[in-house]
Amino acid sequence: MESQTEQQLKANQTRLIKDRLARVGVTTGGVLVLVALLLIFFYLLYVVQPIFESASVKPIHSFEIKANDQTLALGMEEQAEIGYRFGASGQGELFALQDNKFADRNTGDIIEQRMLVPEGQITSFARSLPVNQQFVYGLDNGEAIIVQPKFTVTFPETARTQGTRQVERLIVPRFETLNDERPLQVDQQGRALEQLAYATDGEGMLMAAVTGADTLLITKFAAEQNFLTGETSLTPKYEQRTLNAAIRDIAVTPDLNKVFALINNRIVVYAVSMSGTVSESQVITLNGRQFGQAQSLHLMPGAATVLVTHESGIISQWFEVPTDEGRTFKYIRQFDAGGPIIDLEVEDYRRTFYAVTNDGKLNVFHTTSEADLYHEALPNLDTQMITIDPRANHLLAEAGNELTLFKLNNEHPEVTWSGLWQQVWYEGYPEPSYTWQSTSGSDDFEPKFSLVPISFGTIKAALYAMLFAVPIGLAAAVYTAYFMSPSVRKVVKPTVEIMEALPTVILGFLAGLWLAPIIEAYLPGVLAVIILTPLSIIGFAALWQLLPSHIRTTLGEGRASLILVPLVLFVGWLSFSMSPWVEAQLFDGNVRGYLTNELGVTFDQRNSLVVGIAMGFAVIPTIFSIAEDAVFSVPKHLSNGSLALGATPWQTLTKVVLLTASPGIFSAVMMGLGRAVGETMIVLMATGNTPIMDWNIFEGMRTLSANIAVEMPESEVGSSHYRILFLAAFVLFIFTFFFNTIAEFVRQRLRDKYSSM
Amino acid sequence: MISVSPNSASEKLDLANLTDEQRALEIKNLSLYYGEDRALHDISMSVPKHGVTAFIGPSGCGKSTLLRCINRMNDLVESCKVKGDILLHGKNIYDKGVDVAALRRRIGMVFQRPNPFPKSVYENVVYGLRLQGVKDRRVLDEAVERSLRGAALWDEVKDRLNASAFSLSGGQQQRLVIARSIAIEPEILLLDEPTSALDPISTLTIEELITDLKQKYTVVIVTHNMQQAARVSDQTAFLYMGQLIEYANTDTLFTTPMEKRTEDYITGRYG
Repeated sequence: MESQTEQQLKANQTRLIKDRLARVGVTTGGVLVLVALLLIFFYLLYVVQPIFESASVKPIHSFEIKANDQTLALGMEEQAEIGYRFGASGQGELFALQDNKFADRNTGDIIEQRMLVPEGQITSFARSLPVNQQFVYGLDNGEAIIVQPKFTVTFPETARTQGTRQVERLIVPRFETLNDERPLQVDQQGRALEQLAYATDGEGMLMAAVTGADTLLITKFAAEQNFLTGETSLTPKYEQRTLNAAIRDIAVTPDLNKVFALINNRIVVYAVSMSGTVSESQVITLNGRQFGQAQSLHLMPGAATVLVTHESGIISQWFEVPTDEGRTFKYIRQFDAGGPIIDLEVEDYRRTFYAVTNDGKLNVFHTTSEADLYHEALPNLDTQMITIDPRANHLLAEAGNELTLFKLNNEHPEVTWSGLWQQVWYEGYPEPSYTWQSTSGSDDFEPKFSLVPISFGTIKAALYAMLFAVPIGLAAAVYTAYFMSPSVRKVVKPTVEIMEALPTVILGFLAGLWLAPIIEAYLPGVLAVIILTPLSIIGFAALWQLLPSHIRTTLGEGRASLILVPLVLFVGWLSFSMSPWVEAQLFDGNVRGYLTNELGVTFDQRNSLVVGIAMGFAVIPTIFSIAEDAVFSVPKHLSNGSLALGATPWQTLTKVVLLTASPGIFSAVMMGLGRAVGETMIVLMATGNTPIMDWNIFEGMRTLSANIAVEMPESEVGSSHYRILFLAAFVLFIFTFFFNTIAEFVRQRLRDKYSSM
Repeated sequence: MISVSPNSASEKLDLANLTDEQRALEIKNLSLYYGEDRALHDISMSVPKHGVTAFIGPSGCGKSTLLRCINRMNDLVESCKVKGDILLHGKNIYDKGVDVAALRRRIGMVFQRPNPFPKSVYENVVYGLRLQGVKDRRVLDEAVERSLRGAALWDEVKDRLNASAFSLSGGQQQRLVIARSIAIEPEILLLDEPTSALDPISTLTIEELITDLKQKYTVVIVTHNMQQAARVSDQTAFLYMGQLIEYANTDTLFTTPMEKRTEDYITGRYG
């Protein structure tokens, strides 16, 4: 007896252990799911977070350069190992910015000091855009000398250990005077060049010079290659204009076809033709705005944007905008440096610029994003001049004889919250717009990171898919659950659910390569199918009800759907075979042309209609399955109660069954929506992936998910683009999170209200 | 033995020979098949007007099936076939061309479990009227008060007509369902074990209500509770294995059953 009890107890113990294990296992699983979700969430935030950081500038060290003339320009080589300086006396210095044991250089060591202007009096100085790193001395005899610091980078072997080469980077700098060390004649008449502007496209050059305060010389040097010797020779074309006011500043564009001259709050823009002929194209009036006296002109990379500094410390941005009268320069936006600007530097590639005010404050701005990135005083308040290295990692500032090297941390200036979600006026665009255009072939491209068009695309794709899927999915669900005989239901339900297992890549593939051309070729037919099929089904149902009941009974109620199949096929065939005729009769044989020309509706082959159908097809099983369960699980005693009160089945359906099933039906729709929002392959393959903002059903879209799939492989890890793609993923996450939360919330409310006992 | 309600003894009807005036419903040679299985065997009986007729019998005897034949609820069951006639005012309800919905408006039904709709008390009561397209607020309001009073529920819910029907107790819900049924003023009210899911006090209330209801309606009730049948009904039919064994005035059936099987059942020998 006792042993039996003992045995029972033992058995209970194993049961207890099993139970406990199960509980621990289930809890662990649940917690792990939550942890995984949170990890995804926080990882996305972790990757995204740096794009919202502002810039930082930290001094590394200061040193002195012994030179007894005024500095005209400073510069740095890519690695920020070597700096250079152009002096007012025509002397140039190359010096070490950092200690380098291997090259035996200490910070501040002068590597080379050279007289760059052997003869003549220096009257002006100019520099190309930072990318070209060319500097020009203008002389009193109308000549100019172009100098370029050159850096030869080698990796000599320092040691060899067990077959592994140890290499060290060695940068050897030198000054090179271009044009075979010969000066270029800028003024034919040999007048002194009092101001100078210079740009090069790598071969040809354009110089603008001021002599005698109001005389503008524009000299274009066209590069021509000698076929026999392969030598390049420069052919100058001289032009001269006299303006009626003192010229304050001049600038030329590196595409060699524009010259800007700043006079008394006006900018005169000259167009320079290929051959060098000059014509005045526009006069920009700055006076209308209360910026104060304009001081200097600066070109941004790509030379589309002109920055004008003003006495008040305001920097205004102008670029060409297409208007009815052709492309004209327009005021775009302004930045406030807070005081008179003594030096303004632009980065080599990005749209970031640095302005130093006379009270020693450094201001960092980004034009596209209108970001105000940095606003602080430099350690030395008499800073006269700054320069940025080509990679924008270092800043070199000069105050008196002292140079200070700063570490510049400005990874993602192009991204701001407003730039991502608000309209931005991009260079060359007629008006502010929402644009996504992340990369292009050109280095000086202005990236356009607006998440609005791709978020819009996501919603557009989901909406069209839902327009297709919700009526079909719900109607099918209601019919299957409420009207279909159980034996047919047993076949139909799993069949539709199997559709869900269909890989979406196949659906996308079919949609893009098979469906899209069909829709394009038979557009009237496809639209006719969409309209006629439901009509014919409803018509058939009406006729069926009118049939004498004994015929219906003989044919069998369940067989109605079988008779429907040939009818639907017939309607489809009719629509498609009518399509060419309809097209010929009503649309002059070309629906696309009719849409575009008569209605002004653009038609793309891969459009929202294709996506709506293909993605709708993918979403239908989700909606169907959940909604069918919801309708089917409405207690029979409820519908019986309604029927017993003399309700017809249809009245019972609409007044009781759908009401009771509403929480389930609602969550079916929301689950479908969640799936449509996150769906990638179908939209990727069946749309043109054009990030446009237009509800037009005949145009495509680009969705968040497809955008990530398309661009992630080509984005540089850690770049702004990369992080913005993560942000897009985060937004997508929020989207689905939002939809699911709303769905759950509404479902709970509905369930509280309509749940049956 | 079982006590018999006094009012059932007030008038004795000759159930076999009812006049058309006295008769609410006549069942003639009714057989019902579920596929191959025969659930009802050739049942014939007449239900008198303004009385309570109870169907009793052990589980599976076909009493609910017979009840559901009266308003054709069995039509919903696939593979169910009915033979024979049920005459309402001399017209067979199984005739072709009979509008089932219209029939059910005249023959209401209350089920075993309270099944209010997920709507307010008010909307539950006016459901049947709304189906018929009644929109006049005054008519609806009157119907609500009349029906709820008729179902002895008015005093309990008059202050919360807009509350959800699910906020009522089980007994109240069942009375609401009865109110819902009588709102459309049927001729016959079918009650399918209306108290089997309720507590004794609610059961008592419903039983009192049934006694009231018969003043206006013909009530047919299925119950597995013989005391209930004895308490509320005027006529009782005992069904067994799909067959109508005995049909008589309640006090007669319970006191002097003609059949051995009836006596065995009412004395608790099986069932």
